[in-house]
Amino acid sequence: MKLDGTIDIAAPAATVWAVIIEPTDLAACVPGVRDVRRIDDRTFEGGVRASVGPIDGDFEFRSVLTRAEFPSDLVVEVEGTDSVTKSRVVAHIEAALVESGPAATTLRYRAVVTTKGRLAIIGEMVLRATAGMMIGQVTRCLRARLEAPTS
Amino acid sequence: MTDPATYDIIVIGGGTAGCVVAARASEDPSRRVLLIEDGPDPRPIPDVVADPKRQSELILESPYVRMYDVERPDGSSFPLLSGRIMGGGSSVNNLAVVRPMARDFETWSAYGGPDWSYDALLPLMRAIEADPDFGDSPLHGADGPLHLHRGYHLDDPADPPVRALIRAAGDLGLPLCHDLNVPAPYGVCASPYNLKDGRRQSTAVAYLEPARQRPNLTIRADTMVTRVLLEDRRAAGVETRSSDGELLQVRAPRVVLAAGVFHSPQVLMLSGIGPEEELASLGIAPRVPLSGVGSGYQDHAVVYVTFQGTTDLRETYVIPKVRLIAKSDPSRDVPDLHVFMRPSIRMEGMPPLLPVSLHLLEQRTTGRVRLASADPSDLPIVEPALLEHPDDVAALLGGFELVRRLTAHPALGAFYGPLLTPAPDTDPADHIRESYITYYHGVGTCRIGPADDDGAVVDPRLRVHGVEGLWVADASVLPTVPHANTNLAAILIGEIAARELSAG
Ligand SMILES: Cc1cc2nc3c(=O)[nH]c(=O)nc-3n(C[C@H](O)[C@H](O)[C@H](O)COP(=O)(O)OP(=O)(O)OC[C@H]3O[C@@H](n4cnc5c(N)ncnc54)[C@H](O)[C@@H]3O)c2cc1C
Repeated sequence: MKLDGTIDIAAPAATVWAVIIEPTDLAACVPGVRDVRRIDDRTFEGGVRASVGPIDGDFEFRSVLTRAEFPSDLVVEVEGTDSVTKSRVVAHIEAALVESGPAATTLRYRAVVTTKGRLAIIGEMVLRATAGMMIGQVTRCLRARLEAPTS
Repeated sequence: MTDPATYDIIVIGGGTAGCVVAARASEDPSRRVLLIEDGPDPRPIPDVVADPKRQSELILESPYVRMYDVERPDGSSFPLLSGRIMGGGSSVNNLAVVRPMARDFETWSAYGGPDWSYDALLPLMRAIEADPDFGDSPLHGADGPLHLHRGYHLDDPADPPVRALIRAAGDLGLPLCHDLNVPAPYGVCASPYNLKDGRRQSTAVAYLEPARQRPNLTIRADTMVTRVLLEDRRAAGVETRSSDGELLQVRAPRVVLAAGVFHSPQVLMLSGIGPEEELASLGIAPRVPLSGVGSGYQDHAVVYVTFQGTTDLRETYVIPKVRLIAKSDPSRDVPDLHVFMRPSIRMEGMPPLLPVSLHLLEQRTTGRVRLASADPSDLPIVEPALLEHPDDVAALLGGFELVRRLTAHPALGAFYGPLLTPAPDTDPADHIRESYITYYHGVGTCRIGPADDDGAVVDPRLRVHGVEGLWVADASVLPTVPHANTNLAAILIGEIAARELSAG
């Protein structure tokens, strides 16, 4: 599954960058992520709990920042396993920042998510259903943290 | 090694249709019948198979499901599934019992002649079922092997969201449809299921179980047929491989291939029956050139549309009370969509999400099943070619509009909030092309047709063209995907094959 889009944030690119490369800061903005453990300055682990009708599952993942060249080359690899089917989910996420003014930045992202195993039977439907809302919440959270309050 | 025992009929594959063929063929005690199934034959039937409440576990965790990775044109992939257990698809499917529409038989008659018309096959359809609600009527049967159960009738009390769906659909002009197994069903339909006393009625239960004690029926599970033995252009038996790898030749003058839409063409091709060039390229000596083998695949594309929910929806995934049988365009004469409310998706930190699924009941193109290699244990490659015709995408767009109108109706609007997927600022056609999966209703890879039809694999009596003593009897023979789920059609094919075997 592929996802791409942009998020506009009224803050300088360097400020946005500082948050998105800091694992625990970024994780705090993703809804539902819990038990975040910082492994090193590029790696964190965490979990997400989801249910689809009668199926309840936990998804444990590790996220590694594999490239971070300010402002336009950020790559994150996420790999995880679900508790129900023990399937492997791998996400390759690329992001870049474009500064469009002194306090205006566009974050472009592109993600490719692949599921290996039985989770693929329902996983993609769930990911597609939740992705939009998740990105919306990440956007609001980043804005709330980074944008100067307007009076 | 050669099996010292000989048989009159070998049935390859104990799936939906194969169990029917084996049970019916062994009714005549003078025939020695051997049924060979690749998957296990666990008895008693495990609870995870028998109890529909455990359906998610059956599909997501049990060893009884095969998964085929299929690519969409954009390089993304999704899985197709089949059952690998006695009963095949009928042991793992969602239990819906839906007859093909009269229009489907009309189409099939164009390939198979008058014996494939609705009127010609109605007596067999009646003989299959025991319908407690409509049985013993000109359209239905009351004492066939397959028990139907409607846990919900449209005039029963229902949860508020189901009542709201019925109201909203009614206001949009969809009539109530108490019995969806009529020649031309349309509207808000109560869904019948293969259930008796809360237990799944697979064909392993409904057909095979009562036949198991017959001395003339031998059942071999955990055994894969690797090829059909041919002598000149006559079937002479099969070669099998047991789970410990032992190869055995078993002889019979009549062989019925019922390995399903993916594996019946695979077994034919492994036996040298199929498209010459493709076989030769894999090092298989072509014995009977038959270009249609593996081509003609059709299925039902499925797309999910998701809304933010105002509440949790407990409507079950496996046996929803109602389905809409709808038209993507009101001017159509035949309905082309199934629409279901789906249970909510919950994720911490988010409101509930409510998916609605849209199932397109037609495919204007055909895909194919190819061999991955000459090794029988390699799963074949499936190229379903879904949604390659713009009118198929347009039909799903029509369905999407219907769902929008339904969820905007005040009755349903109390449960369904804003549309989330496809995102309102995107083109829904992109969402359809990028995210479709299937209803698991594959047909057509060994389809019926006359000998001079290049795409045909079997004649209208299910005999493989150019080979004596070899039949195909499963969903793969259907020339087009019906406007219905396919299990009942596969049972019907099993009954037709049994009748043909009796005819000699
Ligand atoms: C998850 C799922 C849900 C579905 N839900 C519904 C539903 O609710 N209602 C409905 O009407 N339809 C449903 N279907 C579709 C329906 O179940 C199938 O159309 C039907 O089972 C097809 O029957 P068949 O006899 O053609 O093939 P199958 O039932 O697939 O039988 C083929 C059998 O052959 C065996 N086999 C394969 N290769 C070999 C070999 N080389 N040697 C020996 N044995 C072999 C297989 O293990 C299998 O048991 C669903 C299907 C799936 C997968």
